[in-house]
Amino acid sequence: MQMKTLRILLYSLLWLPFTSIAQTTVTGLVLDANSNEPLIGVTILEAQTDHGTLTDLDGRFTFVVSSADPTLIFRYTGYSTVEIKLDGRDQLEVKMAEEATLFDQIVVVGYGTQKKSDLTGAVSSVKGKDIARIPTANVEQALQGKVSGVYVAPSSGTPGAGAVIRIRGTGTLNNANPLYVIDGMITYDASNVNPEDVESIEVLKDASAAAIYGSRGANGVILITTKGGKTRDKASITASGYYGVQQVTKQIDLLNAAEFASAYNDLRGQQFFPNPDSLGEGTNWQDEIFRMAPISNVSLSANGGSEQYQFNFSANYFSQDGIIENSHYDRLTFRINGEYKLNSYMTIGHNLSNSSTREDVAPGVVNTAYRMPPVYAPRDSTGDFSDPTFFGLAIANPAADLYYKSDNHTTGSRLFGNLYGEIKFLKNFKFRTNFGIDKISWQSEYFEPKFEVSASQLNLNDRLSVSNGTEGKPNRNDWIWEQTLTYDHTWNEHHITALGGYTAEERNGFWLGGSRENFPGTADEILYLSAGNDTTQMNFQGANDEALTSLLFRVNYTFKNKYLLTVSMRSDKSSRFTKANRTGNFPSASVGWNMTDESFVQGLNFLDRLKLRASYGVLGNQASASGYPSTGAVSSALYGIFGPDESLNQGATLLSLSNANLQWETSRQADIGVEMGFFDGRLAMEVDWYNRETYDIIAAVPIPDYVGSQADPVVNTAQVNNQGWDISANWRQGGTVAYNFGVIVSPVTNSVEKLAEGRSEIFAAFLQGEPASHTIVGLPIGSFYGYKVGGIFQTQEEIDGSPTLGGEKPGDIRYEDTNLDGILNGDDRVYLGSPIPKITYSFTAGVEWNGFDFNADILGAGGHYVFNAKETFRFSVYNWEQHVEDRWTLENPSQTEPRITNGGHNYKVSDRFIEKGDFIRLRSLSLGYTIPTGVSSKAKIDRLRVYVTGTNIWTSQEYSGYSPEFPNAGNTYEVGFDFGGYPIAKSWQAGIEIQF
Amino acid sequence: MKNITRSTDIKMTTGWRMIMALLVLTAVSCSEDFLERKPKGQLTYDTFFETPDHAVWATNAVYQQYRSWEMCAFPWIGITDIISDDADKGSTPNDALYVLELDEFTFDGTNAAITGAWLGHYQAIFRANLAIDNIPGIEMDSTLRARLIGECRFLRAYAYFRLVQWYGDVPLITTILNDDQYYNQERTSKELVYDFIETDLLAAIEALPEKDEYASADLGRVTKGAARGILAKLYAVQHDFPKVIEQCDAIINSGEYSLLARYADNFLPVGEHGDESIFEISAVASQAAIVGPGATPFNMIQGVRGVPNLGWGFNRPSDDLVSEYEAGDPRRQATIIYVGEVLPDGSTIVEDNPEVLNERYNQKAWVPAHSGLQDNGPGNIRILRYSDILLLGAEAYNEENNPVKALEYLNMVRTRARGSNNFILPNVTTVDKSELRESIYHERRVELAMEQNRWFDLARWGRLAEVMSLVQPNFVASKHVLLPLPQSEVDLTGGTLVQNNGY
Repeated sequence: MQMKTLRILLYSLLWLPFTSIAQTTVTGLVLDANSNEPLIGVTILEAQTDHGTLTDLDGRFTFVVSSADPTLIFRYTGYSTVEIKLDGRDQLEVKMAEEATLFDQIVVVGYGTQKKSDLTGAVSSVKGKDIARIPTANVEQALQGKVSGVYVAPSSGTPGAGAVIRIRGTGTLNNANPLYVIDGMITYDASNVNPEDVESIEVLKDASAAAIYGSRGANGVILITTKGGKTRDKASITASGYYGVQQVTKQIDLLNAAEFASAYNDLRGQQFFPNPDSLGEGTNWQDEIFRMAPISNVSLSANGGSEQYQFNFSANYFSQDGIIENSHYDRLTFRINGEYKLNSYMTIGHNLSNSSTREDVAPGVVNTAYRMPPVYAPRDSTGDFSDPTFFGLAIANPAADLYYKSDNHTTGSRLFGNLYGEIKFLKNFKFRTNFGIDKISWQSEYFEPKFEVSASQLNLNDRLSVSNGTEGKPNRNDWIWEQTLTYDHTWNEHHITALGGYTAEERNGFWLGGSRENFPGTADEILYLSAGNDTTQMNFQGANDEALTSLLFRVNYTFKNKYLLTVSMRSDKSSRFTKANRTGNFPSASVGWNMTDESFVQGLNFLDRLKLRASYGVLGNQASASGYPSTGAVSSALYGIFGPDESLNQGATLLSLSNANLQWETSRQADIGVEMGFFDGRLAMEVDWYNRETYDIIAAVPIPDYVGSQADPVVNTAQVNNQGWDISANWRQGGTVAYNFGVIVSPVTNSVEKLAEGRSEIFAAFLQGEPASHTIVGLPIGSFYGYKVGGIFQTQEEIDGSPTLGGEKPGDIRYEDTNLDGILNGDDRVYLGSPIPKITYSFTAGVEWNGFDFNADILGAGGHYVFNAKETFRFSVYNWEQHVEDRWTLENPSQTEPRITNGGHNYKVSDRFIEKGDFIRLRSLSLGYTIPTGVSSKAKIDRLRVYVTGTNIWTSQEYSGYSPEFPNAGNTYEVGFDFGGYPIAKSWQAGIEIQF
Repeated sequence: MKNITRSTDIKMTTGWRMIMALLVLTAVSCSEDFLERKPKGQLTYDTFFETPDHAVWATNAVYQQYRSWEMCAFPWIGITDIISDDADKGSTPNDALYVLELDEFTFDGTNAAITGAWLGHYQAIFRANLAIDNIPGIEMDSTLRARLIGECRFLRAYAYFRLVQWYGDVPLITTILNDDQYYNQERTSKELVYDFIETDLLAAIEALPEKDEYASADLGRVTKGAARGILAKLYAVQHDFPKVIEQCDAIINSGEYSLLARYADNFLPVGEHGDESIFEISAVASQAAIVGPGATPFNMIQGVRGVPNLGWGFNRPSDDLVSEYEAGDPRRQATIIYVGEVLPDGSTIVEDNPEVLNERYNQKAWVPAHSGLQDNGPGNIRILRYSDILLLGAEAYNEENNPVKALEYLNMVRTRARGSNNFILPNVTTVDKSELRESIYHERRVELAMEQNRWFDLARWGRLAEVMSLVQPNFVASKHVLLPLPQSEVDLTGGTLVQNNGY
């Protein structure tokens, strides 16, 4: 459908009428404003016409203009565009300046904007065009590798999925996700933003920048600014689209049917399969669930305005089929941003978007495809799904799951944005009121027909479940109202900007749903709850809410543009805490020194910019205290069953002890940064060192079980440190061959400094009852933990002479007696590595020449490990990974691969399943061509670019699974576990962008 | 000049007016009320325990805890049947290895069944304490109030009774602890715990109605007879046989209970709360529920594994138990499901599952087809049957040198088991005290097999070492007669709780 839309667009463009009338000749010279060197290949256009030319090797041009008093437009890559009205002249000397360097940019900060050179905090800025190259519905994913100090990992490969983002390390044991602010509206979910609507994304990393967000700033803040209108002669209309195909990045090496049969014979010690080789390849179950899947996107936007009003209108349709059969996501987004100057002192405006989404959810089949023995075909000879019940054991046929459990979809609608008004008064004051809204509604339907594949894969009654929101994904009705007053004054060499404000916000979540069974049919028009059997009905409803009021204050002061000072403070009152503990104050201060104009810097001719800055402040995190943590809630539905008809009698009581003294987590952050510019601003470098200490982390303190509380009471207790460097460097060269290179390196060390009183460790990620994650003071959060493989027992004598767990046979793993006490037991389990990368890095390169543009993004992470948890589950006889081909037998006395077993000793939690997580990935590779203006302008097209892009097309990883990234948005101590989720895809796209 | 000044004035006024209006509006939302938020769809502690309904609900919630995983699944089955000589782990060899540790006596204080049972029972005690502490303050009918408190005192006492038999001395928590009491509780000597249980049960006997005195809708609540029964068991543990006799005879003479004609009916739906049932925890599979709020995992964990696929296949009746039955005893067939056997409802034949070694299942945990998934288990968990009381009475009379009365009770049980087949299970006639004791012990084992009694019986008979070391070479008498306290409890109290010997 999208392709069709594109085609119509293209055809209509070609039909635009061509015109051409010649009149006056103009000659001239174009020079670099800085060096006075002639510029070669500058594009010169006559406004409102299709005429254009280029400067020659001497920077000269000759040009015949058609209109009476034309305006000429000079464009050159890497330079600011110049427009000159001819005013009757026939000779011109034009000077073009290179575009603003990194240092002169205006960046968005909390509740305002600032010149980069005046910033005293650590703020990274990403332009919209730099994230638009990644084909994704979700800007979170597009941020990967774009910002120093920011770790981004896709939360899943599910179409439309977001990402888990950690800014400057992992700051808590709980919710470590950053705060999102979209055009001033605070939210926790940026999934509705069309990446093409993004003007810029700013990441507030240090205390100075984030403290204005107070009790929610501790894990960093991501500000997303969408495109506003621009004053211009005529409105600009942009149409763009791409189409691509995706596939899984790799397949996991599993045994084929012959190998499986032989392994099974070894396992049983008998020829269960008399002739394994005859089974050949069998079924590759991964082929049964994965597919080539299309991804496409079409956008149309109009942008323009006058002195009085500016507007940006956009429409976007994104559609992605998942690489797993039957999964799909699409989203239709409309946006209207506008700003209106009512008179000389009043302005009103809005940024409003509405997005409609549809998600088709496939059942979880990655695990079952991984486990299914390849000796089965998806369907048997009669065409029915084969019953894969392997010797009476429960294994689900993933092909049947896909067939029967895919009628599952959710549609959503989200109205998001803000309305604002500004009044300027007296000379220096500006009052702004901003009202933000976020309304979300969901509608989910899941129908599971009656079916029977096997005794363990069946549904005895067809069931329709319908919901408007769920507890995990509620409908939302959130609003914020902010009043701010700004004072701005310059006198002599002083400049001061002061901001004060009051804000209030409320967030409401609610959900409602039900189900019935036994429908009179399975057609879509039958499947409404009322058609089902009412004696089978179930329903649920719930809601939650919270409120926050805040006072905020900030002063920026500069003296001589050299000495910079920022002081800020936010005071939050949160409904999550009791009255006595409700108020939190979050101050910060920072200083900067622009040394560029100091004499000792002036003397260094290679260095043309130098700024030092330092900040310190206190931030909070209340997201860890979710819900109503201070209220003792009475649980109901704890039914007693009484009477001859065994009816449910209401039961209710308090199950857990609450903590009325709970407060937010507190983080104290120090940052020292240096910004440098070399070689006329071509090379920009920024280096920050930071130290983040999070105190009072909310942790459930274990109390003895004899207390009888169902949940451990949560208290503010733990402490975590993150220390690291944010390093970025950018080389940018304009000209005929314009190019840029960028490097980002972000090393970080994470260490738990303290856990709760009386608690020295947190065990998590239990696999067969044994913990695989162990959080302990002195090590990173969620470190892997278990036995160390020492080798393979070759003989019974060796077993008899070694500490053992009991029951080992030759060919079994010899676990190390790490504490050398001669006994092998739980005390020998040790630290086996951290899931947190010690370093993340990325490289970017871009070249533009003669209309061609080329971009490459490479990113990677290193120094961490991945736990292949999916391999440890062996409730039935599942398929094995390829490495068991090297298994220990009497004939093959392997020193590394144990004899074949199905679970048990060799599957204890150990470093057998831990693999290096290091990877480097070609995130994006794109080649584009912009049709020469002379050609495109004949079709009244200002700009026409076509391109091809490859995404994730190459990855070098040591990990055996699909991809080595396994973040966890919920908590931070069960990270890096591959439980067999939806893998990410690689893709190729071709696209077109037209502006006219 | 003049004009400019004027226009600025207008701007000023308009601007300030709008700002003032906004500030006033803002102030409305500024009040502290705006920040007072309560959980939705939930009562909170400050609004609970105010009405008679609350008293009933808080009591019902204690019953619900008895259906929890900790009180009826692996932890419960694991340290009653599987740990004893009646049963093996069952299931496939690698499933739930911590349960295998119980069977083979390789567990320590970190075993999830041992820690789970401790936790589950103390959570029941928590719920009971909360109710017992708060119900007296509610204005309500005094009879109902006394009964509810009686129910809770029984449920608390019974939880302690299990704990003290497993772990020996345990912390005696009789109210909701304050945060300065969390870490410093000591073990109370088992004699004092016995006294506490006795007090609770005597109070419950006082307050509770007999089974037929309850309204029909209350069938399944704790009765006077149930409290007497558990009290009789407490006295048996203390070897106070006259008091055992007193409680057993009170039950037997109450006229409330009788043996069902068919032994096997006790474990079928028809036997739920039947004449033979003194106490059981009711469960129900809600229609349409995948896992309903009235169900338990009890049936699932012990259900046939493979074809038909009824569950996980844990708690396999042991060879040792099979050999205990006298020839032709129909109770063997009523207790054990074998491969090739037709299920009790005649629905299907159990097929061989090669992944399960020496397949056998606990028939007493079998339930007919029901709605929902396997864990929507509807089977009531039988706690105390009349035949148990008869055998306990027989045991006490024999110890008190009254073999005639002992034989009377013992043969009532055998007669029923025999049914109409006079070729099996002849009446026991010996009056030799020790021979009769062995007969009664044997009868208890086969009559109550796979009903989670065996470990407790062996313990109070002082026979754990003698019996268990024959079937489990790892059994160490000085150690394994008591289970270890959860190691985390020892660690969290900094050693205030002292671990049991040998762990």
